[in-house]
Amino acid sequence: MADKEYNPKIVGFLCNWCSYAGADLAGSSKLKMPPAISSIRVMCSSRVDPVLIVTAFLRGADGVLVAGCHPGDCHYEKGNYYARRRFALLRKVMETLDLEPERFRLSWISASEGPRFKEVVTEFTEHIKGLGPNPVKEKTSL
Amino acid sequence: MSDPKKEGEGLKGAAFSGGKSSLETVLGFLKRTLAEGCFDALLLPVKAPGGDSFPYVLVQDKALLEDRGSPLPPIMPVQGGKAVSSLTRRGKAPRKVAALMRPCEVRATIELFKLAQVDLENIFLISIDCPGVLPVKDFAADPEKGMAAFGEVLEKWGDRKVRPVCQICHRFTAPLSDDGAGMVVDLHIGLLGIEDGEVLLIPYSPAGEEILAKLDLVPAAGGDILSAWRDRANELTKKRGEERRRAQEEMKSKVRGLNNLLETFDKCINCHNCMRVCPVCYCRLCYFDSEAVKHPPDDYLRRAGDWGSIRFLPDTILFQVGRMSHMSLSCVSCGTCEDACPMDIPVAQVFSLVADEAQEYFGYLPGRSTDEPIPLATYKEEELEEVEDAPQGASSETKEKDG
Ligand code: SF4
Ligand code: SF4
Ligand code: SF4
Repeated sequence: MADKEYNPKIVGFLCNWCSYAGADLAGSSKLKMPPAISSIRVMCSSRVDPVLIVTAFLRGADGVLVAGCHPGDCHYEKGNYYARRRFALLRKVMETLDLEPERFRLSWISASEGPRFKEVVTEFTEHIKGLGPNPVKEKTSL
Repeated sequence: MSDPKKEGEGLKGAAFSGGKSSLETVLGFLKRTLAEGCFDALLLPVKAPGGDSFPYVLVQDKALLEDRGSPLPPIMPVQGGKAVSSLTRRGKAPRKVAALMRPCEVRATIELFKLAQVDLENIFLISIDCPGVLPVKDFAADPEKGMAAFGEVLEKWGDRKVRPVCQICHRFTAPLSDDGAGMVVDLHIGLLGIEDGEVLLIPYSPAGEEILAKLDLVPAAGGDILSAWRDRANELTKKRGEERRRAQEEMKSKVRGLNNLLETFDKCINCHNCMRVCPVCYCRLCYFDSEAVKHPPDDYLRRAGDWGSIRFLPDTILFQVGRMSHMSLSCVSCGTCEDACPMDIPVAQVFSLVADEAQEYFGYLPGRSTDEPIPLATYKEEELEEVEDAPQGASSETKEKDG
């Protein structure tokens, strides 16, 4: 799948209180990062039903990032702890069925961590580039 | 409902006889519990008048119990957990009800209790050694033949005629360990390794002990019958465990990877029967039946445009994988979904494979305890670091978790 300029499509579910603000900060600080990510603002990482992630993959996302507040810093106190469990389960399901769980990433990014947001996005984009496009795009019987 | 025995007390059992067959003896026992006022009603499978099915019936009438009560029917047309949930979802039973079910049905009942879909107050749970059930469709096609086939199943306890998930079920009996930990139940009826006509009544809770005492039955620790039951059950558990591993490895090779998964569910007609009959898919409105998965025509045309085509009805695989991500931790491998699939897709074999791995990962066993929360309903502050910032540097190997 090597091509000159493969730009993966990454869907990012960012929590309103931390990671979305972190992304905003990265933007307003004019940090340079790959343009791969389409952000969706959610109120909390625990708002992201695993089904939404499966949906994104089945619709051709090459990668999905969920980002929320660091443990202990959740605006709703414990949303991210529950989210971590849910995504651990989703990963396990994807792993058992060999559905490329490595296209999914969960990271904690605070409102002040603009540089960390840039890092995560850059690193994840590189990683997804290494994996190549989501093979789901070649299927017609979904 | 009360908790399982405390550690070290040891299992005790009381032999009971009186019928020509063990199942007749079970009926005799149930009749006595009604006669002695232990319970006000029994919830158990009853042979339908036509003889072609065995629905759950709430029975107070001893004559009906005697004529058509079926403690171990050849099929499972309704999962017992669902039956108990229909009875108690709106509140506790006002009088005492004993529910007699197979072990996977008891485990589903406990999961539904934790999901606030069952009220266990005034419900006395009885489980029975289970040799498996026939596929419901096979039985419906020829009930007479089905009855004969099930007779053989009861003799052999390892017959290929039972459903695939039953053939590899390793939790077909009550806990065999001395502390009784492994399944929440009040009383278990043991059939394995015991002469026909006799059964073993094993109390697993103080309520279970009370009932036996009320009937002047004295359970003994040790004893020939108890050890015969335990030996046979242990032996079969081990054998089934090995068969389960083998069968699941084989299933993995058929279903792993997007192509294989698509092929497995290719025949799916999106009827969602599998979800509707599943005891632990309890949502009043399933996400996959909701407006959230119905999109404007634009959306479908865009997807068709992007990829060249789109299947209708859409989202078959989304439903399957999504359902797994919701309920795998509570799946009790009961096979009801597969029975209900009109397209003969091995739904339960796939779901139980995914469920086993997920449950092992979280160190969780559905139905094991009423206190142990379902893993998604709880958390620890420090855990699961392997999913944070993964995949960077993370491998796909799993770590033991203790829920
Ligand atoms: S998914 Fe199938 S096997 Fe698992 S609990 Fe539901 S009906 Fe039973
Ligand atoms: S698939 Fe999910 S949303 Fe649907 S009934 Fe099951 S648990 Fe509920
Ligand atoms: S019952 Fe079978 S055909 Fe119906 S939705 Fe489930 S897998 Fe598909």
